[in-house]
Amino acid sequence: MSTMNGMVGKSVKRVEDKRFVTGKGKYTDDIILPLQTYAYFVRSPYAHARIVNVDTGAAIDMPGVLAIYTGKDVEAINGVPCGWQVNFKNGDTMKEPKHPLLVADKVRHVGDAVAMVVAQTREQAKDAAQMVMVDYEELPVVVNAAEAVKPGAPQVHADVPNNICYDWELGNSKAEVDQAMLEAAHITSLEFVNQRMIANAIEPRSYNAFYDEANEKYTLYTSTQDPHLIRLLMSAFVLGIPEHKVRVIGPDVGGGFGSKGDHYAEEALLTWASQKVGRPIKWTAERSESFVSDAQGRDHVTKAEMGFDKEGKILALRVKTYANQGAYLGTFGPAVPTYLYGTLMQGLYTTPKINVDVTGVFTNTTVVDAYRGAGRPEATYLLERLIDLAALEMGMDPADIRFKNFVPPFDGTNQPGYQTQVALLYDSGNYEGVLRKGLSMLGYDDFRKKQQEATRNGKLLGVGFSTYIEACGLAPSAVAGALGARAGLYEMGQVRVQPTGKVTIYTGTHAHGQGHETTFAQVVADRLGIPMADIEIVHGDSDSMAFGMGTYGSRSLAVGGSAIVKSIDKVIEKGKKIAAHKLEANAGDMEFANGKFTVKGTDKSISFGDVALTAYVPHVYPADLEPGLDFTSFYDPTNFTYPFGCHIAVVEVDKETGKVELKRFIAVDDVGNIINPMIVEGQIHGGVAQGIGQALFEGAEFDSNGQLTNASYMDYCMPRADDLPMFETTNQVTPCPHNPLGAKGAGEAGTIGATPAVVNAVIDALWSGGHKVKDIRMPLTSERVWRAMQASVN
Amino acid sequence: MQIRVKVNGVDYTHDVEPRLLLVHYLRDVLRLTGTHIGCDTSICGACTVQVDGNATKSCTLFAVQADGCEITTVEGLSTNGELHALQEGFKEMHGLQCGFCTPGILMTMDEYLKINPNPTEEEIRHGLKGHLCRCTGYQNIVKSVQYAANKLKKEEVPV
Amino acid sequence: MQLTGKQVLNAAPSKVWEKLMDTPTLARIVPGITKLEQTGENAYTSTIQIKMGPVNGSFSGNLQMQDITEPTNFTLKVQQNSKIGNANAAIKVDLIPLNGEQTEVAFDGDAKLSGLLAGMGQRVISGVANTLTKQFFSNLEKELAGSNTEKV
Repeated sequence: MSTMNGMVGKSVKRVEDKRFVTGKGKYTDDIILPLQTYAYFVRSPYAHARIVNVDTGAAIDMPGVLAIYTGKDVEAINGVPCGWQVNFKNGDTMKEPKHPLLVADKVRHVGDAVAMVVAQTREQAKDAAQMVMVDYEELPVVVNAAEAVKPGAPQVHADVPNNICYDWELGNSKAEVDQAMLEAAHITSLEFVNQRMIANAIEPRSYNAFYDEANEKYTLYTSTQDPHLIRLLMSAFVLGIPEHKVRVIGPDVGGGFGSKGDHYAEEALLTWASQKVGRPIKWTAERSESFVSDAQGRDHVTKAEMGFDKEGKILALRVKTYANQGAYLGTFGPAVPTYLYGTLMQGLYTTPKINVDVTGVFTNTTVVDAYRGAGRPEATYLLERLIDLAALEMGMDPADIRFKNFVPPFDGTNQPGYQTQVALLYDSGNYEGVLRKGLSMLGYDDFRKKQQEATRNGKLLGVGFSTYIEACGLAPSAVAGALGARAGLYEMGQVRVQPTGKVTIYTGTHAHGQGHETTFAQVVADRLGIPMADIEIVHGDSDSMAFGMGTYGSRSLAVGGSAIVKSIDKVIEKGKKIAAHKLEANAGDMEFANGKFTVKGTDKSISFGDVALTAYVPHVYPADLEPGLDFTSFYDPTNFTYPFGCHIAVVEVDKETGKVELKRFIAVDDVGNIINPMIVEGQIHGGVAQGIGQALFEGAEFDSNGQLTNASYMDYCMPRADDLPMFETTNQVTPCPHNPLGAKGAGEAGTIGATPAVVNAVIDALWSGGHKVKDIRMPLTSERVWRAMQASVN
Repeated sequence: MQIRVKVNGVDYTHDVEPRLLLVHYLRDVLRLTGTHIGCDTSICGACTVQVDGNATKSCTLFAVQADGCEITTVEGLSTNGELHALQEGFKEMHGLQCGFCTPGILMTMDEYLKINPNPTEEEIRHGLKGHLCRCTGYQNIVKSVQYAANKLKKEEVPV
Repeated sequence: MQLTGKQVLNAAPSKVWEKLMDTPTLARIVPGITKLEQTGENAYTSTIQIKMGPVNGSFSGNLQMQDITEPTNFTLKVQQNSKIGNANAAIKVDLIPLNGEQTEVAFDGDAKLSGLLAGMGQRVISGVANTLTKQFFSNLEKELAGSNTEKV
């Protein structure tokens, strides 16, 4: 891309690392305030039960206890709100039962909070919580979304018939799709589960709230991805405290992955109680609590059919999904299986007829919300499993069948964007390009020979492809609003030039591992021609910056970076006026490059630092110009961005045990222009590891009583260092045509592409050995693969 | 109960509750918050420190069990303001993202490189088995450890 | 969680039955039991202390024998609550005579676990259950041996 001072496109080492490698990071739990007190929550051990009685009598007399709050104490307070509205097909608003801060009547999932104890120390709070006596009357439980809609299923909420939160449809009419299917020479159909995932950021959720009586102001430190959003939701929708009297700070945050995007009841409770107790209150989740109270992800039960003509060209796609929303709606909950899922059903293909039908369902399980990728991995998994399986069933090559169906390349400037059947307008793409690159890295020409050789040697070798697209850069506000978002999704970027020419940048995005302090500084250094050392990036404090929407949906650079660029442009424009005045020239004759304002065609120039000083010491200054050099901009994108790519997995399956060994993993990602290749590569690595995690290792296992049976790090299996190979990654660059940086976003790409590639590879390996298995439920443990092989002995 | 410990070269004497975990002692009493807590079951490794030179998950030890011991935390890894080779390696090779698991990994790998100064990729991956990182996919952690191993070897070349 | 198993004891079914129906004996042989009080016919309240790996807590609740057919079978209903979670179980116990002087005690049932108990690794919990079962039968064997000695 065009880079002005060579700072863009360089793998600059991260400026934030020094504090992290020396143990000087400041995460929420590291903050201990004067007169600190601690909260502990009494949580339901049952998935569904009526609360008969809560007795706090013995607990309140325990040493150090300052207060105990139960559901009755907060009945008058609003519940935690949902940020997106999805309507029923008939236009009715989705069912949105109250998600109370503490439950008074009945608990609806294991981990539902019943009481909060505040005490002088963590141990005292925990001891007292054990003395809170709760009498429960157990009720029947429903866990599975497809079961929950059946007549006679237990009712999670009295006023939500059949547990249906919404039913929703997108694309062509069912009749059109049915008609197209009739013409199909082959229909590949798959009934499958996209299992529930737990984000498991290694930093547990942590909050610390205090009330400043003198100024009547609340402060909340929170391990969140979006401090301003938390302030807005908490102050305006839950507690009814004026927003200017609430400060929300998201300090260093140890990983988010979507689950720290939600506004949680504990945030509001601590803030509310800090005023009543008159002392700061801190709560940090124990890991076992995180497992039952952090928002979880995925959990779809789906039937999908893809119709092809005899050459392998896709004619139609039909999808029916039951999406588990959990017991209540999370902040983004209903948007994930609809607007971030149904809208991606075009994939990279020219499928002419698509119908996707989604039913959102309440169950007696923990809330389901965004988890890295959020909706887009589920859509990609569906499409890429279907197309690879179709190739196997039709005896075609999985690469060939994709080439046949790809949307041809378009740059979005000289050629128009691509209008899908499911509402989106793709910005720019070269889909053949990433697959070609991937095939060449793999050495595909030789692969099938190696596979046959392996079969002869009694081994099962397989390759799996996934060519994905995602919609990122959330989001054009008008489009988001039309899709049911209850907020705009623009971003704020402020450039404050200090009198000495140093620059402080305020962004409304929030970094929790993404390295914004480095990438954003590179953008600024490049545009202003000043050293990175002269730039500081500030994020995560609602009192420091005008507003912000936070970080999720791979939006920060594309949207937040663009807002900063807008402010830089304003700084340069004003700087030209100041410089022109000093140099006795016309502003129109000034140009800015390499940190200097120069009169065009002359050697008369003035440095950026001198202009900054003049702006703050305006002795020689244009009469009609305000002093100061400080601009705030809001950038509202005109479209989503559409990163895409090709992931390829090579696996070997042990014939005797079903154990899957991941031999190679190739990722070719096109995330638009890249500011810092090192950081982008790191994002891809991490995403790929999580995607592989879903395919091979991870998954929440609820039993029929609604108990999460793998609710610890001992039992929930995440990839470790020796489970993974070295990933082979590269990029293709198709710039985003509609934002000034040309960036598309890289945070979720890995997770979206990786999962189906791995599963397809295992299926391919099994077919190579004559096991014509259509599906194995993820994660593909040895046992499940072995059983699938046994069931398909030919 | 009274305990005496030496942490990062400084002697401390404190009266502690017998049930106080070492990690809580380090974080809450000494305010050395570089050591983190990621799970309650000694699985994630974020709380790893060195007790008498041995990498130890400080959530599995009571403070009283460390009585009389010499403890090094991540805050004690660098000397005279110079980054340790591992710290430098993690910065150079992008071995961290959110940074939460990093201190524990540094403390384990510091001991590991003393035992095995010349590890292969596979050995490093095996050495990292006691740690969970959710951000990096481990690839750049492996490279960071390799960087440090190479740097330490060069430093050891006798004059 | 499925609870199944069997154990052969060196005593006639009637002897075994006698021990299993006797409150003081039960109070001696159930592992970790600190309190056992009869509250009605075949019904008891109990407090049991268990300390084994992640399972560490004081359980209190009810034990009840139902569907009693002397001396061949009964169903044991267990409802135990603790701060680390609750357990509800119905276990059918069969006493099968083997060549006169031996009895096979077979049990089969299902336990519903909740809270931390359910979440912290059912694979660990089933190990704990197996250990407790072994302890129970070993204690019972000692009781049976002891009672035999008394008679001699």
